[in-house]
Amino acid sequence: MSYGRFLLKRGLQGVVVVWGVVTIVFMLRFITPGSAVDAVAPLDASPELRERIAEELGLDQPLYVQYLDYLWELLQGDMGYSYISGIEASQMVFSKLPATLELAVVSSIIAIGLSIPLGVISATRRHEPADYAATTFSLVGISTPNFWLGIMLILLLSVQFGIFPTSGRAFGFAEAFRILLNQGPGPGANAMWQWLRHITLPAVTLGTYFTALITRLTRSGMLEELGQSYVRATRAKGLPESMVRYKHALRNTLIPVITVLGLQLGTLIGGAVITESVFAWPGLGTTLINAINARDWPILQATLVVIGSGFVIVNLVVDAIYAYLDPQVVAE
Amino acid sequence: MSDKDSADVSRRKFLGFAGAATATAVAGCGGGGGTETGTDEPGGGTDEPTDEPTEPGETATERPEPETRDGYLQRANRVAHEQAPWVFLNRQYSVYGKSDDIEWQARADEFIDAYAITPANDDGDDVVINQSQMDSGLDPQDHRATPTDNIVMQAYEKLLDRDREGGILESLADDYSRQENGRVRFHIRDGVSFHSGDNLTPEDVAYSINRIVDPEVGIASPQQDQLAGVTGAEVVDGERAVDVMSSGLNPIVFSLFASYGPIMNKSWVQSNEGSYINQNMDGTGPFVLETYEQGVEVVFNRNDNYWKEAAEISTLTMRASSESSTRVNSLLSEESDIIVNVPPQEVSRVEQNDSSSIAAAPSTRVIFNAMRYDVEPFDSAEFRQAVNYAIDLESIVENVLSTFGDQTGQPTLDGYFGYNGDLDPYPYDPDQAETLVEESGYGGVEVELHTPVGRYLNDVQIAQAVAGYLDDLENVTASVNQRDFQALASEVTDGDIETSPHWYLLGWGNTTFDASQTLIPLLTSDGNLTSWSNEEFDRLVSEAQSLPSEE
Repeated sequence: MSYGRFLLKRGLQGVVVVWGVVTIVFMLRFITPGSAVDAVAPLDASPELRERIAEELGLDQPLYVQYLDYLWELLQGDMGYSYISGIEASQMVFSKLPATLELAVVSSIIAIGLSIPLGVISATRRHEPADYAATTFSLVGISTPNFWLGIMLILLLSVQFGIFPTSGRAFGFAEAFRILLNQGPGPGANAMWQWLRHITLPAVTLGTYFTALITRLTRSGMLEELGQSYVRATRAKGLPESMVRYKHALRNTLIPVITVLGLQLGTLIGGAVITESVFAWPGLGTTLINAINARDWPILQATLVVIGSGFVIVNLVVDAIYAYLDPQVVAE
Repeated sequence: MSDKDSADVSRRKFLGFAGAATATAVAGCGGGGGTETGTDEPGGGTDEPTDEPTEPGETATERPEPETRDGYLQRANRVAHEQAPWVFLNRQYSVYGKSDDIEWQARADEFIDAYAITPANDDGDDVVINQSQMDSGLDPQDHRATPTDNIVMQAYEKLLDRDREGGILESLADDYSRQENGRVRFHIRDGVSFHSGDNLTPEDVAYSINRIVDPEVGIASPQQDQLAGVTGAEVVDGERAVDVMSSGLNPIVFSLFASYGPIMNKSWVQSNEGSYINQNMDGTGPFVLETYEQGVEVVFNRNDNYWKEAAEISTLTMRASSESSTRVNSLLSEESDIIVNVPPQEVSRVEQNDSSSIAAAPSTRVIFNAMRYDVEPFDSAEFRQAVNYAIDLESIVENVLSTFGDQTGQPTLDGYFGYNGDLDPYPYDPDQAETLVEESGYGGVEVELHTPVGRYLNDVQIAQAVAGYLDDLENVTASVNQRDFQALASEVTDGDIETSPHWYLLGWGNTTFDASQTLIPLLTSDGNLTSWSNEEFDRLVSEAQSLPSEE
């Protein structure tokens, strides 16, 4: 199979998955108790009024008609309108996407920056104190629920010591950068500082599990690679140990790490729901929680479809990179 | 929103159906408060004539006929108390956290009136309010939610207003009177200007009212049903006044305009697109919009050209955190000055902190257990009374609600027009309850209380306590069935009493501060949510609705 055909096949699979997500999300409202009309109608609405509401929302149509209408509108980029505010669902969801992506990217950077060195140190100093410290950290990191961690960080670093704000997002990175360019270093540095202060705690909270996971993965990968015969050969050849570790062993370790990184980035986008809620971070997660609380189905659907599609796209990109790095994947 | 946004409008027409009281019942929203004019002691006193003492055992039907609307509503409340169609539970409180940098008191109608905030020190000059949700757009006539009201009504004003307890005040109207059945007149205050500099005119007022009640004028406003019965408004020739027309008498019309109906600048609205109106403001209120970031933050500056004295605080910032612990932490770290909905388990953290305290006020919401009059054992008034006697309401309020609730003994809340001040909550008397159960002939019966989960403050715990007390009686077995709110609501609200559970917990918010908006939908035979049918009660409510409130 050529690389192009491989990508096409993966792309088509991705489309099927997105369609599956859309369908399941659409059907969710019909398997949850109560009708969408109950979420919109006043409690004391007359039966006639309920019928009118159902008609206005198109809920009086047979299920398959509603489903096909929804699919058709979705294909045209129309995700419907919020039942509560009347704002276009796509506008509402896509305007929140940058905040969530920013959080996911920053937490990934923190995670990668910490986990790979930790994993390498842990593997190369096996059974030494540094290894024990790194493995303990990763065990704790994997076991800690992020909502609890978030609340603890707020209590300690925000409420107790006042180092970071408890919640919110003062500036987006792009906005802070624009201020730096347009208004000079003074206001720019201040905006950047505010951005950093606000994003640090949510990013650390979101990235902790991820850091722990990659640390463990890097450690076990490195240990495996360092035991391989090619490593013995490179050492026999007289290469310096740092070259053996970082140029050869680590490079091979990173292939599975990249796969997990990609998968986890998708999880970060969806999994930020609780972290966003704890930190009142104005992203997709907060939008999703609000939509669930209000039974705002169009927003709920749009958010889940965007998160699901994001997951699929990230996976697709990872597959493409992975196949590029390891041609055997395409051949298989 | 302009006519041009036709797609938006058609999608949103349904929002116009939302009923006035319901938003509060469903979402815990607030509105206004107060009684009609002419009632110095709202709801107080007996259901008239007042010279007749109540004899033990004397029923409402044996009393002389009332003479006023207030009297009829009070009498209807007495019938409800005696016949006990509900287990009368409690009136919930709105509980806020407040920074010591400011002085402020919570209102009954849940509106956070930033104009009433006074700085207690220099830090109190710039106030941050942290709610559970942000706005759904800034058009004051295009939403139906308390968090949005708390934002937009800092910049917009109504014809009438409410004081903290709910009494009616004059606002943009400096006089108002009933001209005839179905027509009332508001005299429009002179010397008021919008933030854009335009002067307030009667044309602005008439246009604003028509924009709400008439879908042909601008938008299909979701507030149409808040001005229940109002059909339109017109400028009075040669006077600085506006006439508001209603279908029928509309006894609570002034009460409606004290709670609802924000006034907008006609020319500003007409010359701007809907999306612009939803992101900008041109009101007459004490605060002027500075910046708006949808879903994130709204910042106001004090209006120095306000028609009353300018507000005491300089800036007002509205933010939101859906997590209650996040709001509490923001208060404790002095990032917020007022936070909404502090849950009971967080109250001590706020109170123990050096720089914050709790501010609470009775809300407009009553929590009750409806008992269907048409099914066993609840078809027996003795049995329904027995359930009321079986419950230690005082203990529930103290232990389940941490005292942030008031016991109730009638459907109408204290302070409302039509409240009967003579009726006390049923006392806790399990012996009397067991006797009444035997008298009803339903000894040994099993009953199940349906309750929503997480819809109202500690709803499940309240239901469990109620069922527990009833189960403690020797001749009744009671249990709780925890339900999804939407599923429960769809059974109760489908217009068919036979699909409703036999016994269920519900909350009802009534922001008009008038008994009729609770009694009619929930307890009259034709009410959309009714669980009861009683001819005498129906007659009393019907008589009340044929009389004006203000006499």
